[in-house]
Amino acid sequence: MTRSKMRFVAGACAAALLMSGTISSIASAAAYSADATSRLEFTGVQAGAAFKSLFHQFTAAVDFDPAALASARIEVTIDMNSVDSGDKDRDGTMRGADIFDVAHFPTAHYVTRSVTRTATGFSAVGALTLHGVTKDVPIEFKFIPGAAGATLTGTADLKRLDFGVGRGDWKNTDWVADAVNVAFSLNLKPKT
Amino acid sequence: MPTQATRYSALAQIFHWVIAGLIVVQFTLARLAEPLPLGIHKLALLARHKSVGMTILMLAVLRLLWRLRHSAPQLPSGMTRFERIAARGTHIAFYVLLFAMPLTGWMMSSAKNYSVSWFGLFTWPNLIGKNETAFDFLRATHDTLSYVLFAVAVLHILAALKHHFWDKDDVLVRMLPFTRGARRS
Repeated sequence: MTRSKMRFVAGACAAALLMSGTISSIASAAAYSADATSRLEFTGVQAGAAFKSLFHQFTAAVDFDPAALASARIEVTIDMNSVDSGDKDRDGTMRGADIFDVAHFPTAHYVTRSVTRTATGFSAVGALTLHGVTKDVPIEFKFIPGAAGATLTGTADLKRLDFGVGRGDWKNTDWVADAVNVAFSLNLKPKT
Repeated sequence: MPTQATRYSALAQIFHWVIAGLIVVQFTLARLAEPLPLGIHKLALLARHKSVGMTILMLAVLRLLWRLRHSAPQLPSGMTRFERIAARGTHIAFYVLLFAMPLTGWMMSSAKNYSVSWFGLFTWPNLIGKNETAFDFLRATHDTLSYVLFAVAVLHILAALKHHFWDKDDVLVRMLPFTRGARRS
């Protein structure tokens, strides 16, 4: 490596360090994590009737300042094994190879790329990785600052088959709808 | 005002035969679904079973309301006291089962946290909360009642055939459409 190249690399590294430092210092002003009372659930339709399922285990890291949306970031990691639809047989089936296949895809991940303000709150576009498939999923949410943190509530609509959730017979959408609604209510505490 | 006729009215016959047909469908769907593992086929069969069951429940409500305002044709005069009690008991058992079967099924679904849809058109509310113990009990009850219903139906059919072929009275014919029920005893 030539001297000038080395200098360039060193300069770039310093710039990157500086930038990441700047970003994290902006973010840390409004960096939160979701506490244990937060909820993440989805509603599917099975045989014409809606059913709700919770994910008991998930983590959410939120960098959000309504005045600095450019640096806003919501990142959620879900333990797919923690799915709970209120029936252990259905939960077992969902964990199985034909639906969530938790043995191969134990976690799902969502991270926003851009956040914009809407008439009623905010909307974001982010990448959802579910069942090993990554696709963009928009979310709509409200952010309400509180005394000791904030609450972030919202919804998303997705199609399960976009993510290959449902193989073989479970591809059938007459008895298990393709459309799934996701709802979340995050109780955010400042990161320490 | 209660009316006394020699034949069942067209409406009574429709209630009888439509519900009888739907009960045969119910037994068939349940038997087909039972051995299947939890999968789309079982889901589809049970969804139809539930929709048909709720249809029977609605028809049972209408039929009971109708029955409270109308009396059945008189039983033939030649019947013994035991036969009259047996006939009365069988019919009461049917009415009880027409409600008990769908209601235990509906409660079963509720206890298992599977809401009941009516042919995908609308969803019935859950009758009870999610409860695995209640589900096991209700399932056993629903099963047992299905055997009781089967037994009562066999008794009912044999009795109707006995009236027709042995006693040669009009008990069977007066519930049959497209007949005149001419013979009396």
